[in-house]
Amino acid sequence: MQRIFPGLGRVSRLAQFVLSCILLFQVATVSAGGATVASIESQLRNDVHYLDARIQYGLTAPMLDALHKGVPLTFVLEIEISRQRNYVWDVTVAELEQRYLLEYHAVTQNYHVKNLNSGASYSLPSLDIALSVLGTIVDLPLLDDELLDSEANNVGRLRVQMDIEELPVPLRLLSYFSSEWHISSEWVTWSLQP
Amino acid sequence: MVTATLKRLGTGFFPVAVLSLLLLVSLYLMSAATQNSEQFGRIFFVLLVVNVLGLITLLVLIAANLIRLVRQYRSQATGSRLTARLVVIFVVLSLLPVSVLYYFSLGFIQRGIDSWFDVRVESALDGALELTRLSLDERKKEILRRTEMMAENLYLMPDESSALLLNDLREQNDAYELVLFNRDAHVLGFSNIDPAVIIPALPDRALLTQLEYQGNYIGLDNKLGEGLFLRVIVPVHKSGDLTGAVMLQSLYTLSDRVGGMVSSVESAYAEYKRLTLMRDPLKFSFTLTLSLVLLLSCLTAVWAAFFSARRLVAPIRALSIGTRAVASGDYKKRLPLHSKDELGFLVESFNDMTHRIALSRDEVNRSQQMVERERAYLRVVLGRLSSGVLTLDKRRRIRTANASANQVLGLDLKLFIGKGIDTIVVDHQWLEGFVSAIDEHLSGDEREWREEVVVFAEMGRQIITCAGTAMATVDGKSAGYVIVFDDVTALVQAQRDAAWGEVARRLAHEIKNPLTPIQLSAERLRHKYLKTMSPQDADLLDRSTHTIIQQVKVMKEMVQSFSEYAHAPTLNLLPLPMGDFINEILDLYRGDKKIKIEALIDDDLPLMMMDAVRMRQLLHNLLVNAVDAVNAMDSDEVGLVKVSCHHVISGSAARMELQVQDSGPGIPENMMEQLFEPYVTSKPKGSGLGLAVVKKIVEEHGGSVQAKNTELGGCVIIRFPLDDARQKAVFDAVPAVETQSLQIDIDQDQDETSSNRGQI
Repeated sequence: MQRIFPGLGRVSRLAQFVLSCILLFQVATVSAGGATVASIESQLRNDVHYLDARIQYGLTAPMLDALHKGVPLTFVLEIEISRQRNYVWDVTVAELEQRYLLEYHAVTQNYHVKNLNSGASYSLPSLDIALSVLGTIVDLPLLDDELLDSEANNVGRLRVQMDIEELPVPLRLLSYFSSEWHISSEWVTWSLQP
Repeated sequence: MVTATLKRLGTGFFPVAVLSLLLLVSLYLMSAATQNSEQFGRIFFVLLVVNVLGLITLLVLIAANLIRLVRQYRSQATGSRLTARLVVIFVVLSLLPVSVLYYFSLGFIQRGIDSWFDVRVESALDGALELTRLSLDERKKEILRRTEMMAENLYLMPDESSALLLNDLREQNDAYELVLFNRDAHVLGFSNIDPAVIIPALPDRALLTQLEYQGNYIGLDNKLGEGLFLRVIVPVHKSGDLTGAVMLQSLYTLSDRVGGMVSSVESAYAEYKRLTLMRDPLKFSFTLTLSLVLLLSCLTAVWAAFFSARRLVAPIRALSIGTRAVASGDYKKRLPLHSKDELGFLVESFNDMTHRIALSRDEVNRSQQMVERERAYLRVVLGRLSSGVLTLDKRRRIRTANASANQVLGLDLKLFIGKGIDTIVVDHQWLEGFVSAIDEHLSGDEREWREEVVVFAEMGRQIITCAGTAMATVDGKSAGYVIVFDDVTALVQAQRDAAWGEVARRLAHEIKNPLTPIQLSAERLRHKYLKTMSPQDADLLDRSTHTIIQQVKVMKEMVQSFSEYAHAPTLNLLPLPMGDFINEILDLYRGDKKIKIEALIDDDLPLMMMDAVRMRQLLHNLLVNAVDAVNAMDSDEVGLVKVSCHHVISGSAARMELQVQDSGPGIPENMMEQLFEPYVTSKPKGSGLGLAVVKKIVEEHGGSVQAKNTELGGCVIIRFPLDDARQKAVFDAVPAVETQSLQIDIDQDQDETSSNRGQI
């Protein structure tokens, strides 16, 4: 396929991610609920560490039902940067939390993905695309390199989970006792390259 | 300390009341959160946990109370049964209505939530949504067509003119905004309905990416903050640029009315769908809240039941314990006063009552001690009194008797306490005179009386003086009798002995003095005139003077005897082996062939502290009497004098008994009573002093003497007391059964001879 905007530059990085996601989800849909960190890496540019990650989300049947009946779902991305030390516990250098909202609009039949931290939102025509946009983290600024000890081994770890506390109370009560409402990835660790 | 604090927290009213209040507030907040309250929704989980923990705390408190009650119930602690009963009643009374309310409330919740949903409403909402979509689709198609037309117009125009044309096109097509941009998102030109807007609303990155692959885009957008917009992006194939890299974006606003309706339909639809989704969870959460409220109510009620029951029963329990304490004699028990209600009044009354009882008890104790002291004093006085004191109740039953009474009457009156005085006679017939004299006076209702009674006791004739007084109560009713009596036998005897002694002394003095001149005168007459007288006169003088001299001699001896009787020498007590001593004297009497002397003397007779001279005189007097009695029979048969000496047990004392019997004619009955008095004799030549001297010697040695007639003949029985050691030895030697039989034998023996015994 011919690219219409070959010169979009950095902006196109997100587009590439989204596109690849769309392609991916067109062939394979996640039927079971869960969240998996498929890839993660960070880059140092202009003395700032940026995070790129791809997360695969799968919604369970009750979640899909709730989503399509107008209940917005909130996902939380938790990031911790720590300095590893020998014999003693690690020092947490920085903690970061990104919150995303996924909702469905019945009239337009679009899915909206909104970054609650930045306010950026996307209106997307299908759930798969919405999930792939939700799971695509591109150039998320983490912290200044100055804050890190260049001599030490600095690692970051990331986890994503659905925030059931944002559900309406009656649903939340059920979600406490049902595993179908719990979506959480394992902590995934990566090394921050100098 | 920690345990005490926990106990105080668990049993105190305020801690649990505060806990219940907090739980109630928490439940209220939870209920508010369930109804989608934003404020409390965030702390819903915390509230839930707090409530569950609070309920668990209440449960633990109740369990502790229950365990405590069960333990008390099993150990049958005071008040536990009443507490258990009250708790059961309170719990049943509180749980029943709450349970009924819960049941109906559940039904209301179920039906209430179900009533929110209606198939017609749902289909109407679906229809409205569909209608909105169709309406929007029509509008989209139209706008797409217009935009494509505008793109075609722009296609023919060079780049420089495009920007100018945009404004015309926008006005012609009634668009809100038209933007012409290239692939680098570089704006080539734009026109907005508001000339003040200088920055066009370019599509975001995601949309640009989407456009790269899809070619054009049409969609409803509401992120401009100014209502809903329809956004259409189509490629403009400019001349010389076949790549179509120039895009035209047109924005059309939906009218406020349409936009409002679309938003309204969407929000209503979403809200309804959310509600259908939360139908069951809502029921669940309301049921949960209601159940928690029920549980809180029930548990608080149960705890309150325990608390109230304990509070109610506490004074009753204290009263019960206090009553038991009082029943067991603890009058110092004071109950704590907790309240001023009826129970408090009861407790106060109880305390007052125990205080009064304690005072009365102390008073009674003091009186009793005083009475005891008086009684002890009286007992000591009566015990030391030589007179016998006997008290009888108004039915003549013996109430008390002092020690002297026992001694005087010779029996143990303690055995007759509570029995009628006449019962004494059954086993002690010699007291018949004494008892009948008392009976007579008591029957005569005399207030005071006095009488001298003579009884024939085991140890001989006894003179008892009795004085009786009828006692009366304060109100004049009969309270019994006091009888004071004394054994005056010794006194009377002593008076009689003294009188006889005085007689003897005077007799001796008055007679003895003229006897010597008489004797000397007779001897002088004889000496002077016997030789000078004629043989006939001389013979007369000789016989006469001889008679005078002989009679004077006899009179002298008699006077000497009297003198001896009157002037008893001081006793010289020495240990005397009785057996040998008696045998030695008996040997003096064994020469007479007409009389057989038989001695029955125990081998183990002790050394007795006696005056040997006096005892020898005693034995001689008795033996002479016996021999004379045998000789008086004037029979050819060999007479018998039997002397025995052995231990006897009489009553509670052991004694040494000496018996002298003879086969003579016996003692005349008319002499029995005065047998041991001076000048009493049955012998023609007797002075009448022999037995009197015997009695005197016996009494000097602390013994007793009596005479009686047996089958053999006369018999004199003398008993000497034994010292304590000897008495014990005698009792130890005789088994208890034998002692009894021996005593009975003696008593029977006495009974047999009572008819013919003589007492001096």
